[in-house]
Amino acid sequence: MSAIGAKPAAGAAVDTTAMVVGIIILLLVIGATYYLFGSGLAFMALIGIIIGGVLIGFGVHFVPVGGAPAAMGQAPGIATGVAMLAAGAGLAGLFGGAWAAEMGVVVATITGAIGGGLMMAITCMFVNFIYVFGMGIPSASGKVAKDPITGDTQAEFKSQGTEGHGLPFVSYVGGVIGGLFGGAGGTLIYLMLLDLYEAELPAMMNALPAQIVPIAVTLAGMFAIGMFLVNAVLAAYNITGTIEGPHDPKFKRFPRAVVASAVASAICGIVAIMIVAL
Amino acid sequence: MESIVFGIGITALAGALATVAGAAENTESDIGSQGDPNSQVQLAPQMGYIHRIFNKAVAGEPPAYGLWIALGAGIAWAFMAMQINPILAIVLGSGIAVFVQGVYATTAYLGRTASLAKFGQPVYVDILKSMTTVTMAHAFVAIFATVTLCHLINAALGHPFPLPLLGIVWGIALGAAGSATGNPFYGKERQYQNQKFGAGVPIAASGNIVRYAEAGERNSLDNGWFSAKLGGPASGVCFGLIVFLELWRTVLFEEIGAGWGAIIIGIIIILVFTVIDRYIEVWARKNYGPYTKPAEEASS
Repeated sequence: MSAIGAKPAAGAAVDTTAMVVGIIILLLVIGATYYLFGSGLAFMALIGIIIGGVLIGFGVHFVPVGGAPAAMGQAPGIATGVAMLAAGAGLAGLFGGAWAAEMGVVVATITGAIGGGLMMAITCMFVNFIYVFGMGIPSASGKVAKDPITGDTQAEFKSQGTEGHGLPFVSYVGGVIGGLFGGAGGTLIYLMLLDLYEAELPAMMNALPAQIVPIAVTLAGMFAIGMFLVNAVLAAYNITGTIEGPHDPKFKRFPRAVVASAVASAICGIVAIMIVAL
Repeated sequence: MESIVFGIGITALAGALATVAGAAENTESDIGSQGDPNSQVQLAPQMGYIHRIFNKAVAGEPPAYGLWIALGAGIAWAFMAMQINPILAIVLGSGIAVFVQGVYATTAYLGRTASLAKFGQPVYVDILKSMTTVTMAHAFVAIFATVTLCHLINAALGHPFPLPLLGIVWGIALGAAGSATGNPFYGKERQYQNQKFGAGVPIAASGNIVRYAEAGERNSLDNGWFSAKLGGPASGVCFGLIVFLELWRTVLFEEIGAGWGAIIIGIIIILVFTVIDRYIEVWARKNYGPYTKPAEEASS
């Protein structure tokens, strides 16, 4: 089981050169957007998209994912992939946020966050339900001696020959926080693009604002889902395999993912903006 | 008032459909061995354990279901645009999506199993013939139920996303909920039925999956029968609750306080599930007890 035993090839160290290059690319894209479109709606959309992408990339690090070892009760976490679980939660949040779009950016973004958190809360509860009542296995972390929130000792609840199993309370809370960030980030990207498309498309397509709403919603939704997956997968590469949640040492790698998500979101964002604003 | 009652009815129906979809999705993925436990099905022949388990984990459940349900929803949407009755359109869309799933299952089984030829794992044609249709049947139920709930959300509740976009959103969420809930039950309880109950599988036992049934060799239909007892229904209830509560809080409470009502109710629901989760965790620690005496040192 190399997923458990192997030392990650890319450690927690931050590569300063790569970070500086990333930040320069980010500033160049922001500068190019300002130069091309001024400080109007398009520029604000890009900033919103970058913030949304960073929220997603940061949030994925909270989600406790155990992958294949978790499916055999060999490691703690949820038995599925990092990117996919985060996507499931974030898109459920995007669904709620998109529904509340007409309520304004703040309410819609928070609604999206709650949607993602709700999905993760129910899923994480059912993970523990299956472990405890289906398999007779209590939760135990493999990374810390005591649960940082409840103070429960962990080592004696690890069964022999495993790294731990189930979701200790700190992992559960991490899952919900990850869902909140993911849902908020996805919704923010959607709202920013929707505002821009609703403003620009009528003149571009020579149609009434009411006529372009379905096109604007579809385009913004597609870009939001796409950018969500970009950021979730980037964060998953940063995590390399499995993570238990905010108490896992791998969590400290998040600055790399924040910079990478900001750069990737900026590049995706300028493309999404150029299709209407150029 | 009437619109609220109508909304609650649609919400309940969507929740019920999601429950059926979740149960069918998990049973389908366990029969096809598509979730994370498939790592053991792939590993077993390499450790010298030849088996007759289906093996189609080319993609994880969330992207695979994202594809199939978006496909089903997209085709149904196109048929509806051609003025075909929605029920018929959804059946046709789901049917075509299931054919794609069948092609995927066939090529995935042949490809993955053929890659194990050097370890002596044969490709069983009878397994391909008998299992593929069963996964397709379960996939049809999952796809049909999810596309229908997406249609209800779009047409009856007025969500702005078009049907194919809702399909990809709820398809990925369905796969995520189903694989998170159902995978441990299939991976630990079924594939490692010969290991101790109430403990994780020791890493040293990896690959030594159970290969014999009450009579003859175990195949994936036996696994579907087993996981349909708890893993499938639990996945169903999980996905059903996600869909139901998400819709319920929006339909009933979004109008209160300009959207803040739904947010507050959402926070309360999250807190309720947090309390339930903590109760389950503490209950297990008290009733099952530790495996060893408490250690002083921190584990690494």
